[in-house]
Amino acid sequence: MAERVSALQGADAPRRFGADGPPGVTLREVRGLRLWQVAAWHDTLAEVAQQAARAAGVAAAPPPGAAVESERGALLRIEPLKWWLLGVDAPEIAGEHGAVLDLSHSRTHIRISGTQAAALLNRHLPLDLRETSFAEGMVASGALHHVGVALWRSARGYELFIPRGFALSLWEVLLESAAQFGAEVAAADSHKI
Amino acid sequence: MSATRLARGGRIARGEELRFHWNGRELRGFRGDTLASALLANDVFLLGRSFKYHRPRGVMSAGVEESGALVTVGEGARRDPNVKATAQELHAGLRASSQNVWPGLRFDIGALSGMCARFLPAGFYYKTFMGPRRVGGTRVWMQFEKLIRRAAGMGAASRLPDPDNYEHAHAHCDALVVGGGPAGLAAAAAAARAGMDVLLVEQDFALGGDLLHQPPAADEKLRALTAEVEAAGVRVLTRTTAFGIYDHGVVGLLERATDHIARPGAHQPRQRFWTVRAKRIILATGALERQFVFGDNDRPGVMSASAARAYLHRYGVRCGARIVVATNNDSAHQTAAELAQAGAEVTLLDAREEAHSAGGELSARMRDAGVRLCAAHAPLRAIGRARVRAVQTATAAPGNEWIPGERMRCDLLLVSGGWSPAIHLHSQRARPVWDDALACFLAGQCDEPITVAGAAAGVWNSEDCERSGAAAGRAAANAPGNNAAPAHNDGGGAILPLYEIRARAKKTKAFIDPQHDVTADDIRLAHREGFVSSEHLKRYTTLGMATDGGKVGNVIGLALMAEALSKKIAEVGATAFRPPYTPVALGALRGRSVGEHFRPLRRTPMHRWNLEHGATMTMAGLWHRPWYFARGGENIEQAYQREAATVRAAVGLCDVTSLGKIALQGPDTAEFLNRVYTNPFAKLPAGKARYGIMLRDDGLVLDDGTTWRLSDNEYFMTTTTAHAATVMAWLEELLQTRWPELKVHATSVSEQWAGCALAGPKSREVLATCAARADAVSNDALPFMGVVETELRGGLRCRIARISFSGELAFEIYAPSDYACAMMDMLWGAAAPLGGCLYGLEALGALRIEKGHVTGAELDGRVSIDDAGLGRMASTRKAYIGSALRMRPELLREDRPQLVGIMPKNRRKTFNAGALLCEAGRGRDVSKHGDGWITAVTASPALGHWIGLGFIAGGADAWRGRRVVAADPLRRGDVAGEITSPHMFDPDGKRMHG
Repeated sequence: MAERVSALQGADAPRRFGADGPPGVTLREVRGLRLWQVAAWHDTLAEVAQQAARAAGVAAAPPPGAAVESERGALLRIEPLKWWLLGVDAPEIAGEHGAVLDLSHSRTHIRISGTQAAALLNRHLPLDLRETSFAEGMVASGALHHVGVALWRSARGYELFIPRGFALSLWEVLLESAAQFGAEVAAADSHKI
Repeated sequence: MSATRLARGGRIARGEELRFHWNGRELRGFRGDTLASALLANDVFLLGRSFKYHRPRGVMSAGVEESGALVTVGEGARRDPNVKATAQELHAGLRASSQNVWPGLRFDIGALSGMCARFLPAGFYYKTFMGPRRVGGTRVWMQFEKLIRRAAGMGAASRLPDPDNYEHAHAHCDALVVGGGPAGLAAAAAAARAGMDVLLVEQDFALGGDLLHQPPAADEKLRALTAEVEAAGVRVLTRTTAFGIYDHGVVGLLERATDHIARPGAHQPRQRFWTVRAKRIILATGALERQFVFGDNDRPGVMSASAARAYLHRYGVRCGARIVVATNNDSAHQTAAELAQAGAEVTLLDAREEAHSAGGELSARMRDAGVRLCAAHAPLRAIGRARVRAVQTATAAPGNEWIPGERMRCDLLLVSGGWSPAIHLHSQRARPVWDDALACFLAGQCDEPITVAGAAAGVWNSEDCERSGAAAGRAAANAPGNNAAPAHNDGGGAILPLYEIRARAKKTKAFIDPQHDVTADDIRLAHREGFVSSEHLKRYTTLGMATDGGKVGNVIGLALMAEALSKKIAEVGATAFRPPYTPVALGALRGRSVGEHFRPLRRTPMHRWNLEHGATMTMAGLWHRPWYFARGGENIEQAYQREAATVRAAVGLCDVTSLGKIALQGPDTAEFLNRVYTNPFAKLPAGKARYGIMLRDDGLVLDDGTTWRLSDNEYFMTTTTAHAATVMAWLEELLQTRWPELKVHATSVSEQWAGCALAGPKSREVLATCAARADAVSNDALPFMGVVETELRGGLRCRIARISFSGELAFEIYAPSDYACAMMDMLWGAAAPLGGCLYGLEALGALRIEKGHVTGAELDGRVSIDDAGLGRMASTRKAYIGSALRMRPELLREDRPQLVGIMPKNRRKTFNAGALLCEAGRGRDVSKHGDGWITAVTASPALGHWIGLGFIAGGADAWRGRRVVAADPLRRGDVAGEITSPHMFDPDGKRMHG
């Protein structure tokens, strides 16, 4: 079986760049994304929520704008009737109950951490990232350099999901903006989340 | 030396001397100076020449309202024109120069225009340049225009690329406080103490506002207020201007991040354009002192009284030794006393009869300091050219008349004509209202959570401003306490409304808007010529349209118009102060969207693979797509014609990832598709694909593409590259608003799947070599329009449909994007030995034009399904979107332009897309808009000559036997053509069924 090739291949070599001092932001790609969309119908929301939660290994599926995470995987509520299931395989769901869809290759997953991570994101994203508005475990979508992206704040940092075709272009823009904070590209993580 | 830096005092760092250059001369200042204060400390008064009359100009204020001290800062690519010296922070090595001067500042040729002023009144360009026909009409004007353009104007921008970075940023807060003076600081602290997340922005580099312009005793108050702000956790941005307020609490800020630094860090953006979303806004933007106008009131050495106070207390600069202060209110009395105490000889002209309304203490201070007070006096004319030398005074007479009085020697003439609250931001949300008692505009009624505090609300002294700010802060947070703002007071001191001093029969220029050289006479001229509405006045005279936005002059202009109309100012109305409050560099507006990041670049997963295999790329929307793959010195024409010929003869491989791809899931998908497409989809079996057309509600074509049924509930739709996002949004809109009862989910999978087209008579042979099971792609397993989900060798899962855009036996093959290169390696590895080629967009175009297949060039939003020759795909047995309105009489007219093929009569000729199709032999070949147009052209390797697609009235049948020309008057001229069926190659489609 062929190796997966990242959209950022050749552009994400670990390095330190930008302003001197301790890096204010660290960016890394998280490779090998496993991402399934789990969708319900209006009248099957509760039951599909349970199936999605079971697959992710969490007690209950998250409400809109939130995510929950387990040892096995994570579940993000991405739309009123849709979740993103990360890191695990999708449950079997019959068409009358809902739909599952493999989106593992559709997004490039970038993690941004460090004291200036939110400041960097807000150089582009018009989302309210203040602690009171976007605490750990929250999910939102927004526009980054004209491109629709999804953002999840996990314990590890800000997890950014960029449509694959735009990933390199947005990665370059983010690095350019990150230089002022003192920045580092860390070695790519692999997807256990 | 009349202006001098005092030995002590000022809020500057005297330990940190800075050297800078003014017109090539090295001067010294201190950290904490502005360029203006440093120049004044060096007794430099003449700074530049004015816009229209080239009059000498100097510093007139100490802030952003400046209309005299416009200079150019920096050199080379970093040259920044029209910088207000009063707002430019001094730094070591700063280089500044005069502008609009030639050959030099002291002797300037352009100043001759002042002598021709009679012929250059307001609006002169509207009148003169029509030009009498006898002397050449407009051509004469065109010559004059060159001269005038050179003579008029301000500084010149650099023509070199801007070397600096700029960026955008977003912030959110509970309360945004604009202004860091006593009101703003108190408001921010009060709101933050009550639990709000507060952002305070101050345009200056230091917090304090008017406290910085007061004697040293104010420092204690300033320290206390800033400590409170800090303790309350307020976020503070200095050097940041709130330039505009927009809907829903959106405020635009401009942060000047490095303009004050001699050598900014390499990674620091020069300026930052903030978009702030604030739940509440408190405007504590202070007030600006205005003048009243009199003769030659623009001479260097004439400035506002408050500016002289600012230079004295903030910068330790006493701007003159013999000073005349002219006022119509009490605020300048204090300044007069303080300047006298600082050693100047001061005379105070108070226009009022009773010039001591502020009471005993101030009068006593003035007396003690030795200020000579002249009541009922005002300046009639400033005397001097490059520097004021004296003032011709006047005394008030009954009936608003002024009688020339004595001439007083002076080296500085200060004017206080009252205060205009800085309600510019608020005026963007609500019309200001005139207050007769305070003689100024105040913020009007506004339904948004915006409050105005301090001097911006017409509250004049610092203590009251602080109380006003604290009350606004508490009110914003709904905090308990006395939230009633102090009432407007008359601390300005029973102002005498006074806007102009002039005596009969005295002809001098009195400037209202010095930056645009608009005079009091210009206002009267506008009145005489009927431009009496405030909006017309502004446009006719250009009053308030310079870089200061009329901060000082607008009120005076309105007052003079009111007088001319015998109306009250309130009846003349006010013009809104539009954003920006102060200029915003274009660089800041563009942020990082410049150069290669002007727009995001969209790469297909085989982008690098294509480049490694010799692709020359082209833009298709945001996508980069292979254009052609030149071999051994081929040019584009040679390359694409070889590629197209190879596809017809053998096999070609092409990246088609940019096609839109949409996953449709759910039990009602068949029904949904049947409503969306014009042709039947309800009975499409699993394992089959169908070509479909979508119309808009108005019956015109939206897009075309194929939809593949993968299983009972799973479909895979492809759209054109151009309309991918439109179709996706359209389907979502339909599902969410029109048919929410349908159980269908639409999800874009354009990025999930990498796609390629494999086309040509040998394509099945290539695919059979690559497929894990060769029989999965046989003619039986995969007939025309068949679909399989299968694997290529090595377990690479993919989905394949046998569909053809080229007209050849062809397949579209999709694999998950991260495996795109593996797929291409495998297919190309099999295709190359069979004499295959890689082909790009240009060959793709040639192949489809030969076949008469339409794309976005034809489906341009004006075309009906019949126009495109696809009417047979419109079902008559079902309703679908657009089915009713496509039957409009207009869309059924037989003479509508319809899709046709076009060939040159002389097969060696060529024509261009965009040429008009006109009937030949009607006298003039090109008439009106012609009968049709060409949408796409190519050299056809299959036919051996040039061909095109286009539309012509009535279609091919109507043009049988008629002569037509492709008219292209700006490019190739006329080319005789003939109209054919659009299906110019293999019209029966035998090849793709092969």
